[in-house]
Amino acid sequence: MSGREEGRSVGYIDSVYCGSGVDGPGLRCVVFFSGCNLRCPFCHNPETLYKRGTMSDINGLLERLKRYRGYFRRGGVTLSGGEPFLQRGFALALAQALRAEGIRVCIETNGHICDPALIAAGDIVCDVKNQQTDDLSPYERFFAECVRQGKTAAVTNVLVPGVNDGEEKVRALARLVHRYFPQARIRFLPFRKLCVQKYEELGIAFPYASVREAEDEDVDRAEMIARNAVIDPET
Amino acid sequence: MSRPFAPGAYEHAIDVRSFIQANYTPYEGGADFLCPPTARTRALMEDVNALLKAETEKGGVLDIDTECVSSLLTYPAGYIDKDKEIIVGLQTDAPLRRGVNPFGGIRMARQACEAYGYKLSDVVEQEFSYKTTHNDAVFHVYTDEMKAVRHAGLLTGLPDAYGRGRIIGDYRRVALYGVDRLIEEKRKDKRAYGERPMDEANIRTLEELYKQIDFLQKLKDMALLYGVDISAPAQNAKEAVQWTYFAYLAAIKEQNGAAESLGRVSTFFDIYIERDIADGVLTEEAAQELIDDFVIKLRITRQLRTPEYNELFGGDPTWTTESIGGMGEDGRTLVTRTSFRILHTLYNLGAAPEPNLTVLWSEKLPEPFKNFCAKVSIDTDSIQYENDDLMRPIYGDDYGIACCVSAMKIGKQMQFFGARCNLAKLLLLAINGGKDEKSGKQLGPVGEVFTGPLDYGKVRAAYSQYMAWLCRLYVNTLNVIHFMHDKYAYEKVQMALHDTEVERFLACGVAGLSVAVDSLSAIKYAKVTPRYDAEGILCGFTTEGDFPKYGNDDDRVDAIAAELVREFHAQLQKTPAYRGAIHTLSVLTITSNVAYGKKTGATPDGRAAGEPFAPGANPMHERDASGALASLNSVAKIPYDCCRDGVSNTFSIVPSALGEDREARAENLCDMLDGYFGRGAHHLNVNVFDRDRLLAAMEHPERYPNITVRVSGYAVNFHKLSRAHQLEVLKRTYHARV
Repeated sequence: MSGREEGRSVGYIDSVYCGSGVDGPGLRCVVFFSGCNLRCPFCHNPETLYKRGTMSDINGLLERLKRYRGYFRRGGVTLSGGEPFLQRGFALALAQALRAEGIRVCIETNGHICDPALIAAGDIVCDVKNQQTDDLSPYERFFAECVRQGKTAAVTNVLVPGVNDGEEKVRALARLVHRYFPQARIRFLPFRKLCVQKYEELGIAFPYASVREAEDEDVDRAEMIARNAVIDPET
Repeated sequence: MSRPFAPGAYEHAIDVRSFIQANYTPYEGGADFLCPPTARTRALMEDVNALLKAETEKGGVLDIDTECVSSLLTYPAGYIDKDKEIIVGLQTDAPLRRGVNPFGGIRMARQACEAYGYKLSDVVEQEFSYKTTHNDAVFHVYTDEMKAVRHAGLLTGLPDAYGRGRIIGDYRRVALYGVDRLIEEKRKDKRAYGERPMDEANIRTLEELYKQIDFLQKLKDMALLYGVDISAPAQNAKEAVQWTYFAYLAAIKEQNGAAESLGRVSTFFDIYIERDIADGVLTEEAAQELIDDFVIKLRITRQLRTPEYNELFGGDPTWTTESIGGMGEDGRTLVTRTSFRILHTLYNLGAAPEPNLTVLWSEKLPEPFKNFCAKVSIDTDSIQYENDDLMRPIYGDDYGIACCVSAMKIGKQMQFFGARCNLAKLLLLAINGGKDEKSGKQLGPVGEVFTGPLDYGKVRAAYSQYMAWLCRLYVNTLNVIHFMHDKYAYEKVQMALHDTEVERFLACGVAGLSVAVDSLSAIKYAKVTPRYDAEGILCGFTTEGDFPKYGNDDDRVDAIAAELVREFHAQLQKTPAYRGAIHTLSVLTITSNVAYGKKTGATPDGRAAGEPFAPGANPMHERDASGALASLNSVAKIPYDCCRDGVSNTFSIVPSALGEDREARAENLCDMLDGYFGRGAHHLNVNVFDRDRLLAAMEHPERYPNITVRVSGYAVNFHKLSRAHQLEVLKRTYHARV
């Protein structure tokens, strides 16, 4: 990483959504960064992959986000995307500027870029992508860095029926998380197809169009497997 | 013998607030003390539910008494089931049987009967053939211009054919003082006014005082029909609730005003309840039972309305608004255990739209109370919130909300309800040189007919000119209405429960704010070209390019909204109001946003002709796409200082976006209310549900008889809304995180 990128004051974002109760603790404003290093076929935010986004400067963004300070008793700002770790300088500068205003920052990442400075820049939510691979080594590195910093990452995983909801996959994930964060619980996000319209607007076929959505029962089942896997890791 | 109440100024003059301040017990704890319904409550509620079902099956009206004219002594005592009731009194001789009230206008009473297959009796018809009704009198005076703007839907919902309502009698006075003391005080006033010069105003006041005293006497007689003597003060909790309820009942027997609100009774009741509990003569279970029984009575109040009325005020509302909580001027909270008890009726009796439970929200409210309110919202969608920190500095700590959002000091202030003006239609009029885009008729002064791409500066200037014209006409029209209402349909019981010297508001309103604002934004930031038909009448717009939309926390457009209401209010003030009333303004539509939309042609923001407006101060449906908090921040910019009659915002969020579980959702809702009100916002109706739930209720109403939805400053049973109103509710923005 070049020094020039530290404190970069402009970056590309897709949008800012003000008012989520499910992107970290409390009420949050979510800044969706444009660009991603992965191309997951179940991606919920394809607009952040295939559009360049809007060039935004920190000051403008900060002024906008500060208007929501009154709602942030428990919440704050979440950097999401896309992959915020890709725009290193911009993400760091934004997180720092927010913290300087007393606003808590949470960063949602796919964990493939293990960047100590970024990991230190906020609360970390890491979404593990085990849908197309069984190789979880990138997360070993990422989680190890979190542990080194004394941090617990909140781990999420999009549960896609027939893809990653099998016993083996869930167990492997649960053991991985347990090794680094023994107290943490994986939050399974049920695969949804609400993003279909976004793919249509982009003129791109939705790769998982024919996969069924995950139901509450699927999530319950995965949670049970994950629980059992760490109670009795040998089975 | 009960222990005596703490003394105070209330002993020497009529002053309920002083009694409350001297005697109430703030409660900072949680909801764990609350009791479930008793077997008696459950049995009575079953009877009521059967009646409500029968009412629905009969098309919305169970029965009408067509022989009598509704008043305090017209009907014999009525009961749901005498043996099961604790608090007694019905509007007529049977539950849900509606009385007729032709004082507002005989034609409306006749039509309302006919709409439900009844015929108004010859006796009533004949009696009223010798009477001038409020409606007759108003039309004796209306000018052609007033009739024309009313007919075109530029001014709509004017209270010229039904009671104006929105007057809150201080019903608590009857419990605290007994009727005899109240009569004595009014007689004193009458003697004092008798010494003044007999000018028109003084003669009017003296006649009103005569009527007030006469009806206080009738109020006593009405209670005696139920075997209860209310001439002396209430001695215990049950009597306090019963006395207060009788006073309210008398008001709604006498008046059929759109909103007959209750005021702020829970903390007042709490004083009696806590004393009885301390004295060992009341248990928590019995206290809850008392409140449950009182609320059952409030849930079955009814007025007879015409179908045209229901188009404006959908869902058969009564706006029995009860204001709960808030903070005192001395910093103690006004939340008491009875604030919890009355909210708890939504669990004990099931969700329901009435009474219109309104929480006066302050950042300083005790956390357990905030959390409980949020959970009640999440579970029942039956309550609304208003900003106590904004209103308390203006109205003190004993104000109440009339209707949806109208604040007034209880017993000291009243308002002349003025419905509203259609701001979106007014904009079309300004573009169209004063012609009505629907009929082609010249409604306003002849002005420039704009052609070609619209120039913002010029259109805005024309809009100002037409606004000035309409505001003058609007205030003058209301002056006619309220002069005649005072003369022919004076609120005798309610005004008897006010100080003789009251402060009056002329409560004007605007509808279609978000449509007007987005249209102006389109003209300013995009390219808008009007289209005219062969007769030269405006028939639509071609809008090219994007423009900022109200509801996204974008100052470029939100500033237009603030500027419009400021200008409108300033224009209203230029025309003096009847009886020296203070001009106030609301941004509130009730459900008339559908009817207004129907009467308004296509607008520059891309809204099609006839399409409903957003309700109240809400951003237009689905245009507030930047998230719930951005939408809230936009509405919070509407300045309350020039919208003292309230800024209504109806908000729907899907549960899965509000938080992961019930606990997180409640916390997040509390934070949302703190944040919103912290920005100076006034009101929030909160719905937490998925659109799918309403779709299901629309398809299978029989399966969802109790789905309650906050619509616009009040709540309704979803199944009681017309199809058009249901569809509008479905079109609203449901804040979600996709």
